[in-house]
Amino acid sequence: MKKELIELRVNGRIHELAAEPNKLLLDVLRHDLGLTGSKRGCDDSSCGACTVLIDGIPMLSCTLLAASCQGQEITTVEGVAEHGGLAAIQQAYGRWGGAQCGYCTPGFMMTVKYLLANNPDPSEEEIRNALSGNLCRCTGYEQMYQAIRDAIEAERKGLAASSR
Amino acid sequence: MALSEFQLFRPKTIQSAVALLAQHKGDIQVLAGGTDLLPSMRQKLFAPKYVLDIRGVEELKRIRVLAGGGLEIGALVTLSQIEDSEFIRRNYPVLRKAAMTIASPILRNMGTIGGNICLDTRCLWYNQSYAWRTSCGFCIKKDGSLCHVAPGGSKCWAVFSGDTPPALLCLGAEIEIAGPGGTRRIALADLYTGLGDTRLKIAKDEMLTRVFIRESMSGYRGAYQKLRVRGSIDYPLAGVAVIVKSSGRHAPVQDAKVAITAVNPSPMLVVGADHALIGRAVDEHIATVVGELAARTAKPLTTSALTPEYRREMIKVFAKRAVLEAAAG
Ligand SMILES: Cc1cc2nc3c(=O)[nH]c(=O)nc-3n(C[C@H](O)[C@H](O)[C@H](O)COP(=O)(O)OP(=O)(O)OC[C@H]3O[C@@H](n4cnc5c(N)ncnc54)[C@H](O)[C@@H]3O)c2cc1C
Repeated sequence: MKKELIELRVNGRIHELAAEPNKLLLDVLRHDLGLTGSKRGCDDSSCGACTVLIDGIPMLSCTLLAASCQGQEITTVEGVAEHGGLAAIQQAYGRWGGAQCGYCTPGFMMTVKYLLANNPDPSEEEIRNALSGNLCRCTGYEQMYQAIRDAIEAERKGLAASSR
Repeated sequence: MALSEFQLFRPKTIQSAVALLAQHKGDIQVLAGGTDLLPSMRQKLFAPKYVLDIRGVEELKRIRVLAGGGLEIGALVTLSQIEDSEFIRRNYPVLRKAAMTIASPILRNMGTIGGNICLDTRCLWYNQSYAWRTSCGFCIKKDGSLCHVAPGGSKCWAVFSGDTPPALLCLGAEIEIAGPGGTRRIALADLYTGLGDTRLKIAKDEMLTRVFIRESMSGYRGAYQKLRVRGSIDYPLAGVAVIVKSSGRHAPVQDAKVAITAVNPSPMLVVGADHALIGRAVDEHIATVVGELAARTAKPLTTSALTPEYRREMIKVFAKRAVLEAAAG
Protein backbone atom coordinates (compact mmCIF):
# COMPACT_ATOMS: atom_id res chain seq x y z
CA MET A 1 0.00 0.00 0.00
CA LYS A 2 1.17 3.50 -0.75
CA LYS A 3 2.60 5.43 2.17
CA GLU A 4 1.52 9.00 2.65
CA LEU A 5 3.30 11.86 4.28
CA ILE A 6 1.77 12.74 7.63
CA GLU A 7 2.66 15.24 10.30
CA LEU A 8 2.20 14.37 13.96
CA ARG A 9 2.77 16.56 16.98
CA VAL A 10 4.01 14.34 19.81
CA ASN A 11 5.12 15.62 23.24
CA GLY A 12 5.50 19.10 21.79
CA ARG A 13 7.66 18.06 18.82
CA ILE A 14 6.54 17.90 15.23
CA HIS A 15 7.39 14.71 13.31
CA GLU A 16 7.02 14.28 9.58
CA LEU A 17 6.87 10.70 8.43
CA ALA A 18 5.57 8.40 5.73
CA ALA A 19 2.90 5.96 6.88
CA GLU A 20 0.21 3.77 5.33
CA PRO A 21 -3.35 5.07 5.88
CA ASN A 22 -4.23 1.91 7.84
CA LYS A 23 -1.41 2.35 10.34
CA LEU A 24 -2.50 2.65 13.95
CA LEU A 25 -1.19 5.48 16.10
CA LEU A 26 0.28 2.96 18.56
CA ASP A 27 2.42 1.40 15.82
CA VAL A 28 3.66 4.74 14.57
CA LEU A 29 4.60 5.81 18.10
CA ARG A 30 6.43 2.58 18.84
CA HIS A 31 7.97 1.66 15.50
CA ASP A 32 8.43 4.91 13.60
CA LEU A 33 9.12 7.28 16.48
CA GLY A 34 10.76 4.84 18.90
CA LEU A 35 8.42 5.88 21.71
CA THR A 36 7.97 2.42 23.19
CA GLY A 37 6.39 3.57 26.47
CA SER A 38 2.87 3.00 25.15
CA LYS A 39 2.11 -0.71 25.16
CA ARG A 40 -0.01 -3.11 23.12
CA GLY A 41 -1.88 -5.21 25.66
CA CYS A 42 -5.16 -6.80 24.65
CA ASP A 43 -5.34 -5.80 20.99
CA ASP A 44 -9.12 -5.61 21.27
CA SER A 45 -9.50 -2.10 22.64
CA SER A 46 -10.28 -3.02 26.21
CA CYS A 47 -7.14 -2.88 28.42
CA GLY A 48 -5.87 0.70 28.33
CA ALA A 49 -2.12 -0.13 28.15
CA CYS A 50 -1.80 2.01 24.99
CA THR A 51 -3.53 5.09 26.46
CA VAL A 52 -2.18 8.45 25.26
CA LEU A 53 -3.60 11.96 25.54
CA ILE A 54 -5.09 13.50 22.40
CA ASP A 55 -5.53 17.23 22.93
CA GLY A 56 -5.29 16.44 26.63
CA ILE A 57 -7.93 13.68 26.68
CA PRO A 58 -7.12 9.98 27.28
CA MET A 59 -7.69 7.78 24.23
CA LEU A 60 -6.53 4.36 23.05
CA SER A 61 -3.70 4.66 20.54
CA CYS A 62 -4.46 1.10 19.32
CA THR A 63 -7.90 2.28 18.21
CA LEU A 64 -6.87 5.44 16.37
CA LEU A 65 -5.53 5.75 12.84
CA ALA A 66 -2.27 7.70 12.96
CA ALA A 67 -3.32 9.78 9.96
CA SER A 68 -6.51 10.77 11.79
CA CYS A 69 -4.48 12.40 14.57
CA GLN A 70 -2.84 15.04 12.40
CA GLY A 71 -3.33 18.53 13.75
CA GLN A 72 -3.82 17.26 17.29
CA GLU A 73 -1.49 17.38 20.29
CA ILE A 74 -0.42 13.86 21.25
CA THR A 75 1.10 13.22 24.68
CA THR A 76 2.69 9.88 25.57
CA VAL A 77 4.21 8.69 28.84
CA GLU A 78 7.56 9.98 27.54
CA GLY A 79 6.05 13.46 27.76
CA VAL A 80 4.92 13.20 31.38
CA ALA A 81 8.25 13.92 33.08
CA GLU A 82 8.65 17.54 34.12
CA HIS A 83 11.84 19.57 33.67
CA GLY A 84 13.87 16.44 33.09
CA GLY A 85 12.77 14.88 36.41
CA LEU A 86 9.98 12.45 37.22
CA ALA A 87 6.54 14.01 37.74
CA ALA A 88 5.02 13.86 41.24
CA ILE A 89 2.77 10.96 40.25
CA GLN A 90 5.67 8.97 38.80
CA GLN A 91 7.67 9.43 42.01
CA ALA A 92 4.68 8.41 44.10
CA TYR A 93 4.15 5.26 42.00
CA GLY A 94 7.78 4.42 42.77
CA ARG A 95 7.41 5.03 46.50
CA TRP A 96 4.22 3.00 46.85
CA GLY A 97 4.94 0.13 44.48
CA GLY A 98 2.18 1.32 42.12
CA ALA A 99 3.94 -0.60 39.35
CA GLN A 100 4.56 -4.32 39.67
CA CYS A 101 5.40 -5.83 36.27
CA GLY A 102 4.99 -2.30 34.91
CA TYR A 103 3.39 -3.17 31.57
CA CYS A 104 0.15 -1.31 32.26
CA THR A 105 1.84 1.61 34.05
CA PRO A 106 2.34 4.00 31.09
CA GLY A 107 -1.39 3.78 30.33
CA PHE A 108 -2.28 4.41 33.96
CA MET A 109 0.08 7.41 34.03
CA MET A 110 -1.80 9.07 31.20
CA THR A 111 -5.18 8.43 32.81
CA VAL A 112 -3.99 9.75 36.18
CA LYS A 113 -2.40 12.80 34.56
CA TYR A 114 -5.75 13.65 32.98
CA LEU A 115 -7.66 12.96 36.19
CA LEU A 116 -5.49 15.25 38.32
CA ALA A 117 -5.36 17.98 35.67
CA ASN A 118 -9.15 18.16 35.66
CA ASN A 119 -9.93 17.26 39.25
CA PRO A 120 -6.99 18.08 41.56
CA ASP A 121 -8.75 16.71 44.62
CA PRO A 122 -10.72 13.63 43.53
CA SER A 123 -12.72 11.50 45.95
CA GLU A 124 -11.88 7.80 46.37
CA GLU A 125 -14.83 6.94 44.15
CA GLU A 126 -13.76 9.40 41.46
CA ILE A 127 -10.26 7.90 41.44
CA ARG A 128 -11.61 4.37 41.12
CA ASN A 129 -14.03 5.35 38.39
CA ALA A 130 -11.37 7.25 36.43
CA LEU A 131 -9.02 4.26 36.51
CA SER A 132 -11.69 1.70 35.62
CA GLY A 133 -10.68 1.62 31.93
CA ASN A 134 -7.09 0.58 32.62
CA LEU A 135 -6.48 -3.04 33.54
CA CYS A 136 -3.63 -4.25 35.77
CA ARG A 137 -3.11 -8.01 35.68
CA CYS A 138 -0.92 -7.90 38.79
CA THR A 139 -4.02 -6.33 40.41
CA GLY A 140 -1.92 -3.73 42.17
CA TYR A 141 -4.77 -1.25 42.36
CA GLU A 142 -4.56 -0.51 46.10
CA GLN A 143 -0.96 0.66 45.82
CA MET A 144 -1.95 2.83 42.87
CA TYR A 145 -4.74 4.50 44.83
CA GLN A 146 -2.26 5.16 47.63
CA ALA A 147 0.29 6.56 45.18
CA ILE A 148 -2.32 8.91 43.72
CA ARG A 149 -3.34 10.18 47.14
CA ASP A 150 0.34 10.60 48.00
CA ALA A 151 1.00 12.56 44.81
CA ILE A 152 -1.94 14.86 45.56
CA GLU A 153 -0.54 15.41 49.06
CA ALA A 154 2.97 16.07 47.70
CA GLU A 155 1.54 18.55 45.22
CA ARG A 156 -0.37 20.33 47.98
CA LYS A 157 2.72 20.56 50.23
CA GLY A 158 4.79 21.78 47.30
CA LEU A 159 2.26 24.52 46.60
CA ALA A 160 2.15 25.50 50.27
CA ALA A 161 5.96 25.58 50.40
CA SER A 162 6.29 27.69 47.26
CA SER A 163 3.70 30.22 48.43
CA ARG A 164 5.50 30.69 51.75
CA MET B 1 -4.01 -8.06 13.96
CA ALA B 2 -3.43 -5.68 11.09
CA LEU B 3 -6.09 -3.67 9.34
CA SER B 4 -6.88 -4.32 5.70
CA GLU B 5 -5.66 -1.74 3.21
CA PHE B 6 -7.80 1.28 2.43
CA GLN B 7 -7.67 4.86 1.32
CA LEU B 8 -8.55 7.41 4.00
CA PHE B 9 -10.70 10.52 3.52
CA ARG B 10 -11.00 13.25 6.15
CA PRO B 11 -13.75 15.65 5.02
CA LYS B 12 -14.42 18.87 6.94
CA THR B 13 -18.06 19.37 5.97
CA ILE B 14 -21.23 17.29 5.78
CA GLN B 15 -21.53 18.13 2.07
CA SER B 16 -18.11 16.76 1.17
CA ALA B 17 -18.64 13.70 3.41
CA VAL B 18 -21.91 12.89 1.67
CA ALA B 19 -20.39 13.51 -1.78
CA LEU B 20 -17.63 10.97 -0.99
CA LEU B 21 -20.23 8.46 0.26
CA ALA B 22 -22.14 8.83 -3.01
CA GLN B 23 -19.02 8.63 -5.16
CA HIS B 24 -17.75 5.42 -3.53
CA LYS B 25 -21.14 3.98 -2.61
CA GLY B 26 -20.84 0.48 -1.18
CA ASP B 27 -17.02 0.55 -0.99
CA ILE B 28 -16.80 3.14 1.75
CA GLN B 29 -17.38 2.99 5.48
CA VAL B 30 -18.02 5.84 7.95
CA LEU B 31 -15.53 6.07 10.82
CA ALA B 32 -16.54 8.21 13.80
CA GLY B 33 -14.89 7.34 17.14
CA GLY B 34 -13.81 4.03 15.61
CA THR B 35 -14.29 2.12 18.88
CA ASP B 36 -16.64 -0.35 17.24
CA LEU B 37 -15.42 -0.25 13.64
CA LEU B 38 -11.64 -0.53 14.14
CA PRO B 39 -11.76 -3.62 16.41
CA SER B 40 -14.12 -5.18 13.84
CA MET B 41 -11.79 -4.29 10.97
CA ARG B 42 -8.97 -6.03 12.84
CA GLN B 43 -11.14 -9.14 12.91
CA LYS B 44 -11.66 -8.77 9.15
CA LEU B 45 -15.39 -8.24 9.57
CA PHE B 46 -15.02 -5.18 7.34
CA ALA B 47 -12.50 -4.53 4.60
CA PRO B 48 -13.71 -1.31 2.96
CA LYS B 49 -11.75 0.16 0.04
CA TYR B 50 -12.27 3.63 1.44
CA VAL B 51 -12.66 4.85 5.01
CA LEU B 52 -14.47 8.13 5.67
CA ASP B 53 -13.14 9.64 8.90
CA ILE B 54 -15.81 12.22 9.74
CA ARG B 55 -14.22 13.54 12.93
CA GLY B 56 -13.12 16.70 11.13
CA VAL B 57 -16.75 17.83 10.67
CA GLU B 58 -16.77 20.37 13.50
CA GLU B 59 -20.45 21.29 13.28
CA LEU B 60 -21.44 17.79 14.40
CA LYS B 61 -19.55 18.03 17.71
CA ARG B 62 -22.03 20.29 19.51
CA ILE B 63 -24.81 19.82 22.03
CA ARG B 64 -27.21 22.70 21.39
CA VAL B 65 -30.27 23.82 23.31
CA LEU B 66 -32.70 24.93 20.60
CA ALA B 67 -34.35 28.34 20.66
CA GLY B 68 -37.84 26.89 20.42
CA GLY B 69 -37.01 24.36 23.15
CA GLY B 70 -35.62 20.87 22.97
CA LEU B 71 -32.15 19.63 22.30
CA GLU B 72 -29.94 18.94 19.30
CA ILE B 73 -27.02 16.55 19.67
CA GLY B 74 -24.50 16.32 16.82
CA ALA B 75 -23.61 12.80 15.68
CA LEU B 76 -19.97 13.32 16.72
CA VAL B 77 -20.74 14.35 20.29
CA THR B 78 -18.81 11.92 22.48
CA LEU B 79 -20.37 9.85 25.23
CA SER B 80 -18.16 11.76 27.71
CA GLN B 81 -19.65 15.05 26.49
CA ILE B 82 -23.12 13.65 27.19
CA GLU B 83 -22.01 12.50 30.64
CA ASP B 84 -20.60 15.98 31.40
CA SER B 85 -23.60 17.95 30.11
CA GLU B 86 -25.37 19.66 32.99
CA PHE B 87 -28.37 20.33 30.74
CA ILE B 88 -28.78 16.65 29.89
CA ARG B 89 -28.33 15.64 33.54
CA ARG B 90 -31.10 18.02 34.57
CA ASN B 91 -33.55 17.49 31.73
CA TYR B 92 -32.97 14.06 30.21
CA PRO B 93 -31.30 12.06 33.02
CA VAL B 94 -32.05 8.67 31.44
CA LEU B 95 -29.76 9.50 28.50
CA ARG B 96 -26.87 10.43 30.79
CA LYS B 97 -27.36 7.35 32.95
CA ALA B 98 -27.29 5.06 29.91
CA ALA B 99 -24.26 6.83 28.37
CA MET B 100 -22.30 6.56 31.63
CA THR B 101 -22.49 2.76 31.56
CA ILE B 102 -20.92 2.43 28.11
CA ALA B 103 -17.54 0.73 27.82
CA SER B 104 -14.91 2.55 29.95
CA PRO B 105 -14.15 6.23 30.64
CA ILE B 106 -11.38 6.17 27.99
CA LEU B 107 -13.64 4.60 25.35
CA ARG B 108 -16.35 7.15 26.18
CA ASN B 109 -13.85 9.91 25.33
CA MET B 110 -13.65 8.38 21.84
CA GLY B 111 -17.06 6.82 21.14
CA THR B 112 -19.76 9.06 19.67
CA ILE B 113 -23.54 9.10 20.00
CA GLY B 114 -23.85 8.60 16.23
CA GLY B 115 -21.66 5.51 16.40
CA ASN B 116 -23.65 4.24 19.34
CA ILE B 117 -26.93 4.59 17.43
CA CYS B 118 -25.48 3.00 14.26
CA LEU B 119 -23.58 0.34 16.21
CA ASP B 120 -23.09 -2.99 14.48
CA THR B 121 -24.99 -5.94 15.95
CA ARG B 122 -23.06 -8.54 17.95
CA CYS B 123 -22.93 -12.33 18.18
CA LEU B 124 -20.64 -15.06 19.54
CA TRP B 125 -20.27 -16.36 15.98
CA TYR B 126 -19.50 -12.96 14.48
CA ASN B 127 -17.28 -10.91 16.80
CA GLN B 128 -14.33 -13.25 16.49
CA SER B 129 -11.01 -13.24 14.68
CA TYR B 130 -10.85 -14.44 11.09
CA ALA B 131 -8.92 -17.53 12.27
CA TRP B 132 -11.69 -18.36 14.78
CA ARG B 133 -14.40 -17.91 12.18
CA THR B 134 -12.49 -19.98 9.62
CA SER B 135 -12.21 -22.90 12.04
CA CYS B 136 -15.58 -22.71 13.81
CA GLY B 137 -17.66 -21.79 10.76
CA PHE B 138 -18.82 -18.61 9.03
CA CYS B 139 -22.38 -17.36 9.47
CA ILE B 140 -25.13 -15.49 7.59
CA LYS B 141 -23.95 -12.13 8.83
CA LYS B 142 -20.44 -12.53 7.46
CA ASP B 143 -18.90 -14.81 4.82
CA GLY B 144 -21.33 -17.74 5.36
CA SER B 145 -24.88 -18.85 4.65
CA LEU B 146 -26.15 -20.49 7.83
CA CYS B 147 -27.00 -19.39 11.35
CA HIS B 148 -25.35 -21.27 14.23
CA VAL B 149 -27.65 -19.65 16.77
CA ALA B 150 -30.96 -20.65 15.18
CA PRO B 151 -29.99 -23.62 12.98
CA GLY B 152 -32.18 -24.04 9.92
CA GLY B 153 -33.25 -20.42 9.99
CA SER B 154 -32.35 -17.79 7.43
CA LYS B 155 -32.72 -14.79 9.71
CA CYS B 156 -29.71 -13.22 11.43
CA TRP B 157 -30.20 -12.91 15.19
CA ALA B 158 -27.09 -10.88 16.02
CA VAL B 159 -27.99 -8.54 18.83
CA PHE B 160 -28.09 -4.76 18.91
CA SER B 161 -25.87 -3.87 21.86
CA GLY B 162 -25.89 -0.08 22.18
CA ASP B 163 -26.87 1.52 25.48
CA THR B 164 -28.13 4.99 24.50
CA PRO B 165 -30.77 3.92 21.92
CA PRO B 166 -33.20 2.47 24.52
CA ALA B 167 -32.93 5.75 26.47
CA LEU B 168 -33.44 7.73 23.26
CA LEU B 169 -36.43 5.55 22.28
CA CYS B 170 -38.04 6.33 25.65
CA LEU B 171 -37.47 10.02 24.96
CA GLY B 172 -39.06 9.75 21.49
CA ALA B 173 -35.86 11.01 19.84
CA GLU B 174 -35.70 11.87 16.16
CA ILE B 175 -32.65 11.69 13.94
CA GLU B 176 -31.47 13.66 10.94
CA ILE B 177 -29.96 11.72 8.05
CA ALA B 178 -27.96 13.46 5.33
CA GLY B 179 -27.68 12.11 1.80
CA PRO B 180 -26.96 13.35 -1.72
CA GLY B 181 -30.52 14.75 -1.96
CA GLY B 182 -30.32 16.75 1.28
CA THR B 183 -31.48 15.81 4.76
CA ARG B 184 -34.44 13.85 6.08
CA ARG B 185 -35.71 13.51 9.61
CA ILE B 186 -37.22 10.30 11.04
CA ALA B 187 -38.14 8.85 14.40
CA LEU B 188 -35.23 6.88 15.85
CA ALA B 189 -37.61 3.94 16.22
CA ASP B 190 -37.88 3.84 12.40
CA LEU B 191 -34.12 3.51 11.90
CA TYR B 192 -33.94 -0.13 12.92
CA THR B 193 -35.01 -3.05 10.73
CA GLY B 194 -35.26 -5.76 13.40
CA LEU B 195 -32.76 -7.86 11.46
CA GLY B 196 -29.30 -8.68 12.73
CA ASP B 197 -27.52 -8.36 9.39
CA THR B 198 -29.11 -5.41 7.59
CA ARG B 199 -29.71 -3.61 10.83
CA LEU B 200 -30.34 0.00 9.75
CA LYS B 201 -32.71 1.67 7.30
CA ILE B 202 -30.05 4.02 6.07
CA ALA B 203 -28.84 4.03 2.47
CA LYS B 204 -25.21 3.42 1.56
CA ASP B 205 -24.76 7.05 0.56
CA GLU B 206 -26.35 8.48 3.70
CA MET B 207 -25.06 9.27 7.17
CA LEU B 208 -26.54 10.18 10.52
CA THR B 209 -25.93 13.84 11.34
CA ARG B 210 -27.99 14.87 14.39
CA VAL B 211 -30.27 13.66 17.16
CA PHE B 212 -33.23 15.71 18.40
CA ILE B 213 -35.14 15.46 21.68
CA ARG B 214 -38.31 17.48 22.20
CA GLU B 215 -38.67 19.88 25.12
CA SER B 216 -41.90 18.16 26.17
CA MET B 217 -39.79 15.11 27.06
CA SER B 218 -37.72 16.99 29.62
CA GLY B 219 -38.40 16.60 33.32
CA TYR B 220 -39.01 12.86 33.24
CA ARG B 221 -37.14 10.95 35.90
CA GLY B 222 -35.11 8.11 34.47
CA ALA B 223 -33.20 4.95 35.24
CA TYR B 224 -30.96 2.61 33.27
CA GLN B 225 -30.00 -0.90 34.37
CA LYS B 226 -27.57 -3.11 32.55
CA LEU B 227 -26.15 -6.62 32.67
CA ARG B 228 -22.56 -7.21 31.61
CA VAL B 229 -19.65 -9.48 32.37
CA ARG B 230 -17.06 -6.92 33.55
CA GLY B 231 -18.68 -3.95 35.28
CA SER B 232 -16.33 -1.31 33.93
CA ILE B 233 -15.79 -2.29 30.31
CA ASP B 234 -18.14 -4.67 28.58
CA TYR B 235 -21.01 -4.33 26.12
CA PRO B 236 -24.50 -4.93 27.58
CA LEU B 237 -25.94 -8.45 27.53
CA ALA B 238 -29.28 -7.01 28.62
CA GLY B 239 -30.28 -3.40 29.28
CA VAL B 240 -33.43 -1.57 30.36
CA ALA B 241 -34.23 2.16 30.22
CA VAL B 242 -37.24 3.64 32.03
CA ILE B 243 -38.64 7.15 32.18
CA VAL B 244 -41.46 8.24 34.49
CA LYS B 245 -43.28 11.54 34.90
CA SER B 246 -45.23 12.24 38.07
CA SER B 247 -45.56 15.02 40.62
CA GLY B 248 -43.90 13.02 43.36
CA ARG B 249 -42.81 9.64 44.61
CA HIS B 250 -46.27 8.45 45.65
CA ALA B 251 -48.27 10.43 43.08
CA PRO B 252 -49.91 8.68 40.14
CA VAL B 253 -47.76 8.34 37.03
CA GLN B 254 -48.70 10.82 34.28
CA ASP B 255 -46.57 9.28 31.58
CA ALA B 256 -43.94 6.57 31.27
CA LYS B 257 -41.89 4.60 28.74
CA VAL B 258 -39.76 1.48 28.97
CA ALA B 259 -37.27 0.23 26.36
CA ILE B 260 -34.82 -2.66 26.23
CA THR B 261 -31.56 -3.40 24.47
CA ALA B 262 -29.08 -6.23 23.88
CA VAL B 263 -31.74 -8.95 23.74
CA ASN B 264 -33.09 -8.44 20.18
CA PRO B 265 -31.57 -7.45 16.82
CA SER B 266 -32.92 -3.92 17.51
CA PRO B 267 -33.51 -1.84 20.61
CA MET B 268 -37.25 -2.06 21.42
CA LEU B 269 -39.89 -0.04 23.21
CA VAL B 270 -41.89 -2.27 25.55
CA VAL B 271 -45.43 -2.00 24.23
CA GLY B 272 -48.02 -1.66 26.99
CA ALA B 273 -45.57 -0.64 29.71
CA ASP B 274 -46.91 2.92 29.61
CA HIS B 275 -50.51 1.70 30.05
CA ALA B 276 -49.50 -0.46 32.99
CA LEU B 277 -47.97 2.55 34.71
CA ILE B 278 -50.09 5.58 33.78
CA GLY B 279 -52.63 6.65 36.40
CA ARG B 280 -51.14 4.56 39.21
CA ALA B 281 -48.67 5.15 41.99
CA VAL B 282 -45.69 2.89 41.40
CA ASP B 283 -45.35 -0.04 43.79
CA GLU B 284 -43.67 -3.46 43.76
CA HIS B 285 -46.66 -5.07 42.08
CA ILE B 286 -46.83 -2.67 39.15
CA ALA B 287 -43.06 -2.77 38.76
CA THR B 288 -43.26 -6.57 38.58
CA VAL B 289 -45.96 -6.39 35.91
CA VAL B 290 -43.75 -4.08 33.82
CA GLY B 291 -40.84 -6.50 34.34
CA GLU B 292 -42.95 -9.30 32.89
CA LEU B 293 -43.99 -7.21 29.90
CA ALA B 294 -40.33 -6.35 29.24
CA ALA B 295 -39.29 -10.00 29.49
CA ARG B 296 -41.98 -10.91 26.96
CA THR B 297 -40.56 -8.33 24.51
CA ALA B 298 -37.06 -9.80 24.88
CA LYS B 299 -36.13 -12.57 22.44
CA PRO B 300 -32.58 -13.47 23.47
CA LEU B 301 -30.86 -16.40 21.79
CA THR B 302 -27.44 -17.89 22.38
CA THR B 303 -25.55 -14.93 20.93
CA SER B 304 -23.38 -14.30 23.99
CA ALA B 305 -21.57 -16.05 26.81
CA LEU B 306 -24.58 -15.79 29.13
CA THR B 307 -27.61 -18.01 28.52
CA PRO B 308 -30.78 -16.63 26.91
CA GLU B 309 -32.83 -17.75 29.92
CA TYR B 310 -30.64 -15.78 32.29
CA ARG B 311 -30.66 -12.68 30.11
CA ARG B 312 -34.46 -12.73 29.79
CA GLU B 313 -34.79 -13.19 33.55
CA MET B 314 -32.44 -10.26 34.12
CA ILE B 315 -34.54 -8.08 31.79
CA LYS B 316 -37.45 -8.83 34.12
CA VAL B 317 -35.43 -8.06 37.24
CA PHE B 318 -33.81 -4.94 35.81
CA ALA B 319 -37.08 -3.56 34.42
CA LYS B 320 -38.65 -3.90 37.84
CA ARG B 321 -35.68 -2.26 39.56
CA ALA B 322 -35.47 0.51 36.98
CA VAL B 323 -39.19 1.32 37.36
CA LEU B 324 -38.81 1.53 41.14
CA GLU B 325 -35.63 3.61 40.81
CA ALA B 326 -37.16 6.03 38.31
CA ALA B 327 -40.31 6.43 40.40
CA ALA B 328 -38.25 7.15 43.51
CA GLY B 329 -36.39 9.88 41.60
C1 LIG C 1 -14.10 -2.88 24.94
C2 LIG C 1 -15.32 -2.19 24.38
C3 LIG C 1 -16.47 -2.12 25.16
C4 LIG C 1 -17.62 -1.49 24.67
N1 LIG C 1 -18.73 -1.44 25.47
C5 LIG C 1 -19.84 -0.84 25.02
C6 LIG C 1 -20.99 -0.75 25.85
O1 LIG C 1 -20.96 -1.14 27.01
N2 LIG C 1 -22.11 -0.20 25.35
C7 LIG C 1 -22.16 0.30 24.09
O2 LIG C 1 -23.20 0.80 23.69
N3 LIG C 1 -21.08 0.25 23.29
C8 LIG C 1 -19.92 -0.29 23.72
N4 LIG C 1 -18.81 -0.32 22.93
C9 LIG C 1 -18.89 0.19 21.55
C10 LIG C 1 -18.56 1.64 21.34
O3 LIG C 1 -17.50 2.10 22.14
C11 LIG C 1 -19.73 2.60 21.53
O4 LIG C 1 -20.93 2.01 21.12
C12 LIG C 1 -19.51 3.90 20.74
O5 LIG C 1 -20.54 4.80 21.01
C13 LIG C 1 -19.44 3.68 19.25
O6 LIG C 1 -19.24 4.95 18.65
P1 LIG C 1 -18.00 5.22 17.69
O7 LIG C 1 -18.08 6.66 17.35
O8 LIG C 1 -16.74 4.76 18.26
O9 LIG C 1 -18.44 4.31 16.47
P2 LIG C 1 -17.61 3.77 15.17
O10 LIG C 1 -16.81 2.60 15.56
O11 LIG C 1 -16.89 4.93 14.55
O12 LIG C 1 -18.82 3.36 14.28
C14 LIG C 1 -19.70 2.33 14.62
C15 LIG C 1 -20.59 1.97 13.42
O13 LIG C 1 -21.48 3.03 13.13
C16 LIG C 1 -21.23 3.58 11.85
N5 LIG C 1 -21.33 5.03 12.03
C17 LIG C 1 -20.69 5.79 12.97
N6 LIG C 1 -21.08 7.07 12.89
C18 LIG C 1 -21.98 7.13 11.88
C19 LIG C 1 -22.76 8.19 11.31
N7 LIG C 1 -22.69 9.45 11.79
N8 LIG C 1 -23.58 7.90 10.27
C20 LIG C 1 -23.67 6.63 9.80
N9 LIG C 1 -22.97 5.59 10.30
C21 LIG C 1 -22.15 5.84 11.33
C22 LIG C 1 -19.86 3.09 11.44
O14 LIG C 1 -19.73 2.97 10.06
C23 LIG C 1 -19.80 1.75 12.14
O15 LIG C 1 -20.48 0.77 11.40
C24 LIG C 1 -17.62 -0.93 23.38
C25 LIG C 1 -16.46 -0.98 22.61
C26 LIG C 1 -15.32 -1.60 23.10
C27 LIG C 1 -14.08 -1.63 22.25
